[in-house]
Amino acid sequence: MNQQTLAAPLFHFAAAAAAAAAAQNPFSLDADASPRGATMVSVKKTKKSTDNINNKLQLVMKSGKYTLGYKTVLRTLRNSKAKLVIISNNCPPLRKSEIEYYAMLAKVTVHHFHGNNVDLGTACGKYFRVCCLSIIDPGDSDIIKTTGEQ
Amino acid sequence: MVKFLKPGKAVILLQGRFAGRKAVIVRVFEEGTRDRPYGHCLVAGLAKYPKKVIRKDSAKKTAKKSRVKCFLKLVNFTHLMPTRYTLDVDLKEVASGPDALATRDKKVAACKAAKERLEERFKTGKNRWFFTKLRF
Repeated sequence: MNQQTLAAPLFHFAAAAAAAAAAQNPFSLDADASPRGATMVSVKKTKKSTDNINNKLQLVMKSGKYTLGYKTVLRTLRNSKAKLVIISNNCPPLRKSEIEYYAMLAKVTVHHFHGNNVDLGTACGKYFRVCCLSIIDPGDSDIIKTTGEQ
Repeated sequence: MVKFLKPGKAVILLQGRFAGRKAVIVRVFEEGTRDRPYGHCLVAGLAKYPKKVIRKDSAKKTAKKSRVKCFLKLVNFTHLMPTRYTLDVDLKEVASGPDALATRDKKVAACKAAKERLEERFKTGKNRWFFTKLRF
């Protein structure tokens, strides 16, 4: 318990805070705390992020504006309405690189979904396959901010 | 989120007689017109690329090889592949008004003007990518 509460400030705040914490407690405890705490936190992060995308997509489907499909994705990229583009992992490589090139010109982030077009269609709540989609207006979701950071 | 289909952008035509040719966007019609209710643009492109000029060539031969045949065309955005290259050639007076391609002689005159501009740009040696043929 003590080690975990030490690990949290050491992980998030600057070196000054870490020095203060080290000064307070015996250094043997500190040396063990930070590496163990760090690995635990990072493992949790990766597992949550795949679920997060699905949840955020769900929220976008409910409250935001989006288009599904290659032709409309290019159209939204061309008229600079797209804010985020998501591509499934079994998208044909020529099509994937074309969308990435357009997105590079339009300065739009591309997110490579961890799943094929069947999974992406399911994540959108549709009963058909979705190879690529473009989010025009995220609505209540913060999907653009979080994928932009990654 | 940045508009990139702007005048001066180098593009490659994907469909039509000039498929595979490089062109530069002269004028953009974002919302389309009454005749063409879709996003399209006026492009000036190279129907015939200039040939490869080597140091051995005489002046007469260089002049002949550096000739360029130009085309002007109204193209749908979906039939273009934009590139990261730009070509800032002053083609504004070439195709200024909306009726630049209306009658045949206006089109021919505009084409001639575009040809001159592109030829002088080729002779300066800049924008070399634009004047090389796309191999496919």
